[in-house]
Amino acid sequence: MYLIKNRVNVLQAWLWCVSLWPCWLSHAVPLDCKDETGSLAQCASISQEKLLDRVIQHAELIYRVSEESCTLFEDMFVPYPLHALRSQGGNLCHTKPFPIPGSKSEIQQISDKWLLHSVLMLVQSWMEPLIYLQTTLNRYDDAPDALLNKTKWVSDKLLSLEQGVVVLIRKMLDEGILTSSSIFEHTLTPYNEQSPEVLESVLRNYNLLICFKKDAHKMETFLKLLKCRQSNKLSCVSY
Amino acid sequence: VIQRTIISKVCVYVLCPVQFSLPVSDPSRGPHFTGCRSREQETFRCWWSAGIFQNLTEPGTLRVFYQTKNALSEWQECPDYTHTVKNECYFNKTFTHIWTSYCIQLRSVRENITYDETCFTVENIVHPDPPIGLNWTLLNVSHSGLHFDILVRWAPPPSADVQMGWMSLMYQVQYRVRNASHWEMLDLESGTQQSIYGLHTDKEYEVRVRCKMSAFNNFGEFSDSILVHVAQIPSKESTFPTTLVLIFGVIGLVILLVLLIFSQQQRLMVIFLPPIPAPKIKGIDPELLKNGKLDQLNSLLSSQDMYKPDFYHEDPWVEFIQLDLDDPAEKNESSDTQHLLGLSRSGSSHVLHFKSDDDSGRASCYDPEIPNPEDLAALLPGHSGRGDNHPLVSRSSSSIPDLGVQQTSEVEETPIQTQPAVPSWVNMDFYAQVSDFTPAGGVVLSPGQLNSSPEKKKEEENEKKIPFQLVSDGAYTSENTARQLSADVPPSPGPEQGYQTFPTQAVEGNLWNGEYLVSTSDSQIPYLLPEAPPVPILPPVSGYTVVQEVDAQHSLLLNPPSSQPAICPHSPNKHLPAMPTMPMGYLTPDLLGNLTP
Repeated sequence: MYLIKNRVNVLQAWLWCVSLWPCWLSHAVPLDCKDETGSLAQCASISQEKLLDRVIQHAELIYRVSEESCTLFEDMFVPYPLHALRSQGGNLCHTKPFPIPGSKSEIQQISDKWLLHSVLMLVQSWMEPLIYLQTTLNRYDDAPDALLNKTKWVSDKLLSLEQGVVVLIRKMLDEGILTSSSIFEHTLTPYNEQSPEVLESVLRNYNLLICFKKDAHKMETFLKLLKCRQSNKLSCVSY
Repeated sequence: VIQRTIISKVCVYVLCPVQFSLPVSDPSRGPHFTGCRSREQETFRCWWSAGIFQNLTEPGTLRVFYQTKNALSEWQECPDYTHTVKNECYFNKTFTHIWTSYCIQLRSVRENITYDETCFTVENIVHPDPPIGLNWTLLNVSHSGLHFDILVRWAPPPSADVQMGWMSLMYQVQYRVRNASHWEMLDLESGTQQSIYGLHTDKEYEVRVRCKMSAFNNFGEFSDSILVHVAQIPSKESTFPTTLVLIFGVIGLVILLVLLIFSQQQRLMVIFLPPIPAPKIKGIDPELLKNGKLDQLNSLLSSQDMYKPDFYHEDPWVEFIQLDLDDPAEKNESSDTQHLLGLSRSGSSHVLHFKSDDDSGRASCYDPEIPNPEDLAALLPGHSGRGDNHPLVSRSSSSIPDLGVQQTSEVEETPIQTQPAVPSWVNMDFYAQVSDFTPAGGVVLSPGQLNSSPEKKKEEENEKKIPFQLVSDGAYTSENTARQLSADVPPSPGPEQGYQTFPTQAVEGNLWNGEYLVSTSDSQIPYLLPEAPPVPILPPVSGYTVVQEVDAQHSLLLNPPSSQPAICPHSPNKHLPAMPTMPMGYLTPDLLGNLTP
């Protein structure tokens, strides 16, 4: 029964995705290279394989830095008994437009297209929450500089990752895609609440960091699977 | 809502161990989960223990229920209770979802009690399998043969799907000397090989490796250790090095020391045997002093600023004669002069000094070191020997004492004063005035009239000149005058007269300028200033004539106060000053007699 449920979920996701697809196309703006003067210019070409490698490197780095940020925050702000929350993996992460399967077998069945779009969606969904995280961290009195730098760095890298994934989508799937994340703003849990008391704020941020780490792992896993498929289709197919 | 959830979780987890995945059983507790583990992130297992409740050890009494938080589904029972292992629940691939949070409960269905509950995510309980295929290769051995480096290689565990990217592994290599207690740990490595440096050749090492998921801290089990051993090459060099090194080191050190000493010899000598400072005059080579080349010395000294070169340049030749009274017997000897003068001659100031006076760069062709008072004494015409009656002395006996008195003091002063009195000598001509007589018969000359007359200076040969020293500023008394004085001069012409000229002073060759002392009184002799001749009776002839030369017959060669090139003739008698020849000839003793009026 659970299996059937999962499949239904996947189907739902697919339908949802397909329904949204024309919307994306209507707002499609081809991603053109812009040089420093701002005028449109021809980009230097890069092979798809290299681009994918670079995108994977981005994702790996983001994942590693997210883990470091989580550790830093935990050491600095979170009381020791609550460290166990981390092992929970973040129960209260903001929900995505469509569920992402967690089992290996299911993931292996996801198509390239879906993989890329999932990654893009994930990246775009985290841009605003990270900005929120940065603002709250700046409000803390004794936030370590390393933590602030890391969150800043991650925000910047996410943008690059988004650009890379968009280009990949265009190259691999021959689709134009919307670059802004405005389409997902309304679906996200609003983070514009008033700043609550300190512990709650700390726990919220802690949760945020845990969830972000999880989603960064998802991005990395999807991209690596994609790469595996590109290079060697046989070994990446399970069973 | 958040607060409630958090608080509930806190209450739960205070009891739970943080490292939930470790299968540690606590016998003092009731039934509880001992741990959950996943090896490859695709399946996982959980174990529990009945604890002290021994009546619940039968299988089936305790059951495991799980719930995946994402779907918010109801509690489900363990999909697979492992038959071979006691108290284990196995979740296979289909039931394993990553990125989802699981909560499991240990329940006793019969009593409907939940003994334990825990939540986790699968990636947090992953402990990868140990890597396989650990081997090593020798990289190199050091020159000494004591150390070596190896490269260790391994393969990721086969259960971990690294290729797909399902798991990203990081490896840690450890090594130790065999059977030692402490393992050396190297840094985490994301690749599948690592180099180990600095191992000793005679020791046996154990190497092992383990891995973990990147971004997680759960290490898996260690791989089997491999043994690494490189036999030490038994060579003769291994036994020699220490002794050879010692020997060569010592030799090298000795050589260095010797080189150091030789190179720094001078400095060391100075440090250990400091030289005794020798007296030194700036600019003068001590060798000069040793050799006795006083001419050069004089030239050097004349070139010194303090010696007022102008003086020596403008006065081209000898200004004074200085006799060195180096024979004390001479001084003490009572001579005619002494008797005449009635004074005890103890000082050497009256003497005509042939001094080797280095301070004066006098343009003199005389060698001052070899005084010959006899020769100078014989300058006076008619005198041939020492101690004989000087015509002057005898004739001017009365006047001379006064002269002497006056001039003694002057004489005493002037040896000192002559040098400072240089400016007055600028215009000084080559005049020499006999002012006193030495008991030895020498002539003490005094500075003559200041008369500007250019004279060439024997600058080249000023070393070999007897320094003439105008000893006093007294009047110049020629022999003629002296004779006349003694003969004709009335006792006291008066001091105010000062000078009295004699009409018969038309000396051949302008002996003097007609200024000479005549006074015979004992009263104070007026200090005769050469520049104030009251009545020059004589035709314009300078009152003083410089004795230019003394020839072999001991005749004085005088010259008029006209510019004459100063020559330094190589007279056979080098002691005597060479004077420019007088155009008028010279005054011989015979001639002197003719000069009387």
